[in-house]
Amino acid sequence: MRDLPNNAPRPFRHLARAAAVALVLLGVTATATACAGDDPDSLTVYSGRSEKLVGPIFEAFTAETGIALEVRYGSSNDLALLLAEEGDKSPADVFLSRSPGPAGFLDDLGMLATIEDEVLERVADTDRSPDGTWVGFAGRGRVLVYNVDEVDPADLPDSVFDLTGPEYAGRVAVPGSNSSFQDWFTLFRLRNGDDVAIEWLDAMVANGSRFYPKNGAIVEAVGRNEIQFGLVNHYYNFQKVAANGDAQRSANHGFAAGDDGGLMIIATATVLDSSDEQDAANRLLAHLLSDEQQAYLTGKVYEYPLALGVAPAAVLPPVPADRVGAVDIDDVAAEFTRTIEIIEASGILDQ
Amino acid sequence: MAAAFALPGGYVTWRVIGGTESPLALLASHRTLAPLWRTVQLAVLVSASTAVLGTALAWITTRTDLAGRRFWRIVVPLPLVYPSFVGAAAFISGLSPGGIVHDLAGDLGFDLAIRLHGLTGAWLVLTLFTYPYVYLPVAARLASLPTAFEENARLLGDRPARVFTRVVLPQVGSSIAAGSLLVFLYTVSDFGAVHLMRFETLTQTIFRTRLFDRDRSFALALLLLLLALLVVAAERTIARAGARRGALLAGDGTVGDRRALTVGLGRWSVPATGLVAGVVGLALVAPAVSLADWGLFGWIRSRRGGASLRLDWGDVLGPTWNTVWIAAVTAVVAVAVVLPVAYLTTRHRNRLGGVVNAVVVAGFAIPGLVVALSLVFWTLHASPFDALVGSMPVLVFAYVVHFGAQAVRTAQVAVDTIPRRMEDAARLLGAGRVRRLATVELPLMLPGLAAGGGLVMLSTMKELPATLLASPIGFRTLATQVWDTYEALFLPEMAILALVLLGISAVMTWLLVVRRSDHLR
Repeated sequence: MRDLPNNAPRPFRHLARAAAVALVLLGVTATATACAGDDPDSLTVYSGRSEKLVGPIFEAFTAETGIALEVRYGSSNDLALLLAEEGDKSPADVFLSRSPGPAGFLDDLGMLATIEDEVLERVADTDRSPDGTWVGFAGRGRVLVYNVDEVDPADLPDSVFDLTGPEYAGRVAVPGSNSSFQDWFTLFRLRNGDDVAIEWLDAMVANGSRFYPKNGAIVEAVGRNEIQFGLVNHYYNFQKVAANGDAQRSANHGFAAGDDGGLMIIATATVLDSSDEQDAANRLLAHLLSDEQQAYLTGKVYEYPLALGVAPAAVLPPVPADRVGAVDIDDVAAEFTRTIEIIEASGILDQ
Repeated sequence: MAAAFALPGGYVTWRVIGGTESPLALLASHRTLAPLWRTVQLAVLVSASTAVLGTALAWITTRTDLAGRRFWRIVVPLPLVYPSFVGAAAFISGLSPGGIVHDLAGDLGFDLAIRLHGLTGAWLVLTLFTYPYVYLPVAARLASLPTAFEENARLLGDRPARVFTRVVLPQVGSSIAAGSLLVFLYTVSDFGAVHLMRFETLTQTIFRTRLFDRDRSFALALLLLLLALLVVAAERTIARAGARRGALLAGDGTVGDRRALTVGLGRWSVPATGLVAGVVGLALVAPAVSLADWGLFGWIRSRRGGASLRLDWGDVLGPTWNTVWIAAVTAVVAVAVVLPVAYLTTRHRNRLGGVVNAVVVAGFAIPGLVVALSLVFWTLHASPFDALVGSMPVLVFAYVVHFGAQAVRTAQVAVDTIPRRMEDAARLLGAGRVRRLATVELPLMLPGLAAGGGLVMLSTMKELPATLLASPIGFRTLATQVWDTYEALFLPEMAILALVLLGISAVMTWLLVVRRSDHLR
């Protein structure tokens, strides 16, 4: 920097100074980061769940155990891709995902450790993977959201198959590209067979159902009566009502018990095989499934608790009978690829 | 240097070679062709409309006696800073029934029954949020142009419109091309706006298939990259032809002459103000009003004893500071890195320069997620550097590789601005290379470099996937906080954070871009 002549115009001395400060800052932070990994009393978590929702759970864990948590937040799919890229060198000990899909992806790559039995046994068989590589810790139900001004609750359908009828023509929003919808559709397909599933989706398209990219966008569109019904996760309407109160003109409707429209998408916790802190990682999973944190998840975040013996918050619709874990999917990647193919071929994404 | 910029492309190619899908074979499939065609359609439309809009705004705010020019110069580039998903979401929800803009218009007697989606919706939203890519370089170019020609033309009796088409346009042509190219590449790689507008482009397919059909996803990413390279090469050819013509005009200008040349708008002042205010109103104010509406609602709700705002100072202050310094550092580093590239590609015209240019510029068309993954991949596989994974230098490096394109084209135009005569004169007077650079060339290039750096800065402030994946763990910026609250559907909190991001960008645009280029006047 000294090479700059003293008569250099002012802006450049500013730039030079900014660059010098920048280099120092970069150096300092790089050193700080390098040291953090050496601390045996900390765990690294990759979280596909938002900090606003799970942050308090992590803070409680640190307060209880003294184990600091370093958390990288991101979308579940992106984090799974990052983990696949990092492989054995990943700093992550625990990965939380919005749905079992990304966990299955990592399992196929052989990157997941088997979780301790005590942790697995906190939940029902249906809420964990058969080989013990992931355990569910919270659920979101698939429901039909509807506009309360336009729809009489008495007319609400019992089954997802009713939505292909003429009274729903052009009135139902389908989030075809959304991963929760694809989770649901994969299971719907496996339970009913490809033929029935394709026929249903084609009938939805023929009935003028509209495509929306996200659950949140659908709940908003239904709330402002842009469309009257939507296939979504129950969670979004709760957040909208919490934010808008009575001004939010939408409500959730659960399909009849046992109907294929209802399904619980479960958020999963996994331990990375490459982690040197298996014990502490399992402790964190046990903490997620503790009565206290499960009560927080259902009371404050409006999700279904999965730990045995913890009751869902009273405001939630009845617990959907089915969940993603209930059907044993041999080849998760192949099944999801097939799901995407069918959804693309149906033309719903162009609606 | 170019090798660094080639890292994402190299990574994608490597993955495609190791995968089972060939991009060329995919080209034969309708599943690829339809989104590809939609991508090209949208990108061409958006580039064309932003070229017109960006140039018009630049001319009006720099060359006319428009009232409040300084204010407009700060706010006109700002729509660039809306993270694409937030801007589009706020835009849609504001204009839809029940949205604040729709209702206000209704009170005034307008029925805005617009259902924005598909090509029209994506085109409109992207035009409104990307015109600054044209505006900033063109405004910078206008600020640094010699005014002698325009004065002569006017003295000879040409009307302003004729002066504009015959004198101004040929001189700023290369800047317009540079900006439109960035718009094209941005549109090609955008995910948020097309997603919300339900318009399935190639990038959407890449995102949808990224986890369960990785081979196809990577093959499509390579296809996207090839498309970008093609467009970059085409633009370079056109820009060079244009530059030869423009050089006739610019080469002999009196650069030191910086008297403000202003066109009196006269009876056009109302339509001109209307245009500027209209664009700013739609692109900046309308989404901001929606955000303010959401934010205010949350605040009032908490004051009335309802659910309290789930946001504290810690959520705002730390991320704000991080956003400010990382964006400023990235902008400075990006300009420093691309300046040699700009010299190489403009002063020494050879094939190597063309390749380097294409590699640097095309990096912008690769989705940020792929850039982040590629840098993780390369740092982990280059053993002395693997300790750097998840460190600040890698994050800044990722930003520079991703956004360097935005600085390089404006830097090239800036290098071109320096009359050779001036350099020769300095050399004859005995000034050394460094001294010539510092005292003669850099000051002349400053507006252009500041504009390029400004683009990089605004883009960095809103960047999401690379920040989430390549940053040191626990590093939060305003963009990551906006995303986190958006994911949890905490709209009031999201809105407040987005408004803070907007305010900070306004301050930084003023400090680092507007003031820098005004400095010389």
